[in-house]
Amino acid sequence: MIARLSRLALRLYPLAYQRRYGDEMRALLEDQPPRARTVLNLVKGGLKAHLLPAYAPGDVVGPADRVRASVSGVLLCWIFFAAAGFGYYKSTEDAPFSAEGHAHPLLRDAHLAVQAFALIATAAVVLGAIPLIVAALARARRDPSLRRSMALALLPVVVFGALTAAVIAIAHSHAANHTSTAGGGIAITWGIAGLACGTACVLSCRAALFATPVAPDRLRVSLVAGTTVTLAMLAIAAATALYAIALSVDASHLAGAPNGPFQVLSVTSSLILQLIVMMIAGALAFLATTRAWRAESQLATN
Amino acid sequence: MRYISERSNDPGLLVLTSLADGPKHGYAITVDIEEFAGVRLGPGTLYGALSRLESKGLIEALPAEDRRRPYRMTPDGVAALEAELRQLQSVTTRGLERLSVAAVAR
Repeated sequence: MIARLSRLALRLYPLAYQRRYGDEMRALLEDQPPRARTVLNLVKGGLKAHLLPAYAPGDVVGPADRVRASVSGVLLCWIFFAAAGFGYYKSTEDAPFSAEGHAHPLLRDAHLAVQAFALIATAAVVLGAIPLIVAALARARRDPSLRRSMALALLPVVVFGALTAAVIAIAHSHAANHTSTAGGGIAITWGIAGLACGTACVLSCRAALFATPVAPDRLRVSLVAGTTVTLAMLAIAAATALYAIALSVDASHLAGAPNGPFQVLSVTSSLILQLIVMMIAGALAFLATTRAWRAESQLATN
Repeated sequence: MRYISERSNDPGLLVLTSLADGPKHGYAITVDIEEFAGVRLGPGTLYGALSRLESKGLIEALPAEDRRRPYRMTPDGVAALEAELRQLQSVTTRGLERLSVAAVAR
């Protein structure tokens, strides 16, 4: 299990690192059986490698593959961003929040902006993915390994769908018998499972994307969609920050109310935590998009 | 104290010190560093240091043996390691001298 997680963590590294050091790192993991802290060390190393592109090995990634890597990177950032966004939605969905929104225009406008940009980003994800899915399906007819990657991308979605249905069924049938602690535990497990399934799905999509020849104009469409998603993420993060500030000023009684699965955090603390996740995901997506546009200009001149 | 321990445990310095007696691949570097410094570098830390040293031209990769690629120091790497170790030596020598003078005075 730990060995598999370690190999999965290697895939969080930038593509240039994977191509240059991937085989060596896999060999090292075979020579030196990994422990739980090895996985954390790899995740930290992968994040650092993304944040310090100056040390990335050069000339190992072509422009088309750079665009593929960046588009799939933005999608992974979107998964984590969406999880934080779901937290925002759950924190502010109750009727008292709507009532305060009616009374304070800034609260209402910030909330509406989050919803509008979330819709735009979701539409961009779908529109950007369609040309790539069509190209992959056409190729998959004669490429069994690509068929396997596509099936592996679908599997986590099915698993998460089944898990969500089970959680909803439990919530409906045993609502009265469950303590808030059990409910909180189920909610956190469901959230972690969602992130794991989302990550597994994106990594399989990425593998399929690299195995599929895609025309430059289709890659460009996906890059435009990825850029839209990135800009929407930054706009949502700004609107969430505005909402958190407005809530503290205009509705301090709601801002300080207990919130979250175990009711240990206040609404404001939850919003700050969600905002931190949103900002990290947005910043990483922005880095990926910037690199992709640099590569795209090379692609256009080739 | 913090200065000395941070400098002497810097992964880049440890990797260069390990390569001082000849080329080694990732696993051999890890084992060597654990022996002489008591520090076990994780694969993320090790390859982060290798990529930094390689991009600065302080080490270079040799042809891979199986999937294991040995690294060796470049002349710039030798000069950088020597300068770094001399600086550390100067600090430790001066510190030990002052400690012994203080012990005599006590």
